[in-house]
Amino acid sequence: MAKELLSIEHLSASYGEKDVLTDISLSVKAGQIICIVGESGSGKSTLLKAVHGMDRVRVTGGSIRAFGSPVSAMTDEQRRSLLGGEIGLIPQNPAGSFNPIRPFEAQLRETMQSHGRQFDPAETARAFEAVGLADARGLLRLRPYELSGGMNQRVAIAAAMLLKPRLLLCDEVTSALDVTTAGKVIRELEQMNRELGTAILMVTHHLGIARRMAEKIGIMKDGRMIELEDADWILNAPVQEYTRQLLRDVPKLAGRERSGEESAGGLDDR
Amino acid sequence: MKIKRSVSDQRKKQRYRIIAASAAAVILIAVALLAPMLSPNDPYRTNSAIIRHAPCAAYPFGTDNLGRCVLSRVLMGARTTIAVTFFLVAVSFVIGTAIGLLCGYYGGRIDDLLMRVADIMLAFPQMVIAIAVAGILGGGIAGAMTALGITMWTGFARLSRSHARTLRGMPYIQAALLSGKSGPYIMLHHILPNVLEPLLTNALTQIGTTMIGISGLSFLGLGIVPPQAEWGSMISESRAYIQIAPWAVLFPALATILTILVFNYLGDAVMEYRMAERHT
Amino acid sequence: MLRRAVKRAAELIIILIILSFLVFALMYAAPGDPAEKRLTSQGIVVTKEILQAERERLGLLRPFFVRYGEWLGSIARGDFGVSFKDDMPVAGKLAAGLKNTLILSSLSLLISLAAALPLGIVSAVRQDGPADHLIRVVSFVGNSLPNFLISVLLMYFFCIRLKLLPVIASGNLRGLLLPALSLAIPLASRFVRQIRSELIGELQEEYVTGLRARGVRERYVIWKNVLYNSLGHIVTMAALAVGTLMGGSVVIETVFRWPGIGKLVMDSINARDYPVIMGFVLIMGTIYMGVNLLADVIAGILDPRILNTQK
Repeated sequence: MAKELLSIEHLSASYGEKDVLTDISLSVKAGQIICIVGESGSGKSTLLKAVHGMDRVRVTGGSIRAFGSPVSAMTDEQRRSLLGGEIGLIPQNPAGSFNPIRPFEAQLRETMQSHGRQFDPAETARAFEAVGLADARGLLRLRPYELSGGMNQRVAIAAAMLLKPRLLLCDEVTSALDVTTAGKVIRELEQMNRELGTAILMVTHHLGIARRMAEKIGIMKDGRMIELEDADWILNAPVQEYTRQLLRDVPKLAGRERSGEESAGGLDDR
Repeated sequence: MKIKRSVSDQRKKQRYRIIAASAAAVILIAVALLAPMLSPNDPYRTNSAIIRHAPCAAYPFGTDNLGRCVLSRVLMGARTTIAVTFFLVAVSFVIGTAIGLLCGYYGGRIDDLLMRVADIMLAFPQMVIAIAVAGILGGGIAGAMTALGITMWTGFARLSRSHARTLRGMPYIQAALLSGKSGPYIMLHHILPNVLEPLLTNALTQIGTTMIGISGLSFLGLGIVPPQAEWGSMISESRAYIQIAPWAVLFPALATILTILVFNYLGDAVMEYRMAERHT
Repeated sequence: MLRRAVKRAAELIIILIILSFLVFALMYAAPGDPAEKRLTSQGIVVTKEILQAERERLGLLRPFFVRYGEWLGSIARGDFGVSFKDDMPVAGKLAAGLKNTLILSSLSLLISLAAALPLGIVSAVRQDGPADHLIRVVSFVGNSLPNFLISVLLMYFFCIRLKLLPVIASGNLRGLLLPALSLAIPLASRFVRQIRSELIGELQEEYVTGLRARGVRERYVIWKNVLYNSLGHIVTMAALAVGTLMGGSVVIETVFRWPGIGKLVMDSINARDYPVIMGFVLIMGTIYMGVNLLADVIAGILDPRILNTQK
């Protein structure tokens, strides 16, 4: 059995003034791709936030263990070195995950140094190429506000790849992208999974993406995990009526291969 | 949804702060109003027999260089400072709001012109203008108030203008227009009530600054002049013999600090309460 | 960038001309007669004839616009006229005072920033901690103190009670300490409050969460990002404070008898020496607007987004 990277048991959490997660259990093993599907407000993003411990999500019950140690007992420094290094995150709006007015190079350098590594231009260029960004040297001199959201997103993914995390958390990565770019990003993530063995926990409102990538699919509704099973099982023999309805709402497409590309949020690449 | 306890606790704390600060402000205003009754002595009567007398039973804060009762003068000074400040803030409020509403509602050339004037006023350091204007006008209450008022109205004008501009496009304003209501009617009955809260908050935060301005000008001899009791001019008058009669400086100084602290605290508390309101 | 700066500079000149007109008009309408004031101060018994001759000599009798035009024209050549009080050139008086005022004001500004930056940073980074609470109370009180009051109290405690420092500001650092502190205490307190709220706002920006989620060390997050991004606002804040310092220096220089432009203008107000007052307003206005223009340019270099949004 593969090593367990993340183990969530009976987790309840609140965000601000609201209780948003109730009794969630989930486990991510090395190399696995798990997709959590749900409508907005179902608590799926909060689940990720609870794992990486930012954004004032308060755990009110249950436990989260990452790489064997309980997250709640970690010191700030332990959590910091775990984040990025072992657990990568591609947030909902990756374009916002960089300081908009400082050049990428300085920011990537500091990110690498924070994890005890050196900034290597050649390695960075390779990572940029992998996400379809040519001219790494030119891009590194630019500031995030000078690039489109889609470009920023790819730099964010490249940054996550540079750190070679064993677990990558993705929050609605395709929602702000046009169809073509979204398809590219999905392929890049799959490639990371194949080549580096990175486990991926992805949150999305698109069952289509889950169908394409996931080994396991979880369905969330009103802060609860109502179904969590192998992808084939969920797609072919869902137990819950809600899941069946979600499946009906996914437009019929020719094959699993193309479904990642129907995830357009309708926004252009700016 | 369950409201988290800490948030409502925080609101409660903010509310208590406002109540406490308001209570202190009301006490100060009451002291100012009742000053003639509270004063143990005549604040204007000079007495060469008791010049620079240390605090005692008859003169709890001592006497100044002319033998006047410092406590009585501090109490009367509260009246001067608070009355002048409130009057000035109120006048700036009314004039600034009227200008802002007219500019924001009608727009056009007058709007351009008046907002340019406001820009020019703000492009200059306020106290430099105030000192120059008060200096040219030759001191006195009216001069000091004009000097400070020249720049003060701009804050109210900008605030009410921006609200009036946004509200003008609202459907209910359009409806009122269609039903034949006049511009002034709409401004008074539909726009003003909606701007009142931010304007009053702004007025509240202006009180402390205005007091500092008034007493500063009076200290320089450009505002309220002796014998009328005012803290800034009292401090300025008594500064020369602070070595012999420190009480004649220290008590008005304490009164100034206390009053400004109370009104600034009230302003801060209300601002914080409104900011928190906007976030929830 | 350059075009924007030029446009602002042109605006600055227009504003100065408008302001000079307003000040001139105000002075024209002002009560009190400089000719009479001048004669009495020289101990001359004022008769109607002498007064009229003096008015004539000072050029007070010519029409308003002629006087304004002439005055504005000579200002453009750097000639601020002669003082009504002693016939000395106003430009020379102003320049001498300005130098001393700049020394005092820059010292105060430096003290304020040196004190406020670390305190504001600690207060924002350790928000709601004990240090933050203490800093907030102290800066609230400091911000509420009028500088004339601070100057009188400081003088009383340090010069009279403790006899540590001289009462009259002399040129050395010891003499400048109290005047500089009198200006710096309220200013530093205001800075602390402004820096704190600026940094707290910046810490809530989305990218801060992004950097932290990538495991970037907190010292990089604070020093290289949050502080860097706030720098433009801090520069703007300091530039606006120059206006406060100008007003404050009139008070403080008078209290400590520091021979700056502030003390000069108070003496001139008492003597109704109009050319000096007008020169003071124009010089202060020019410096203030120039400083703010410079701050704008610096803020634009630090955060180029400003230029894109504020077209």
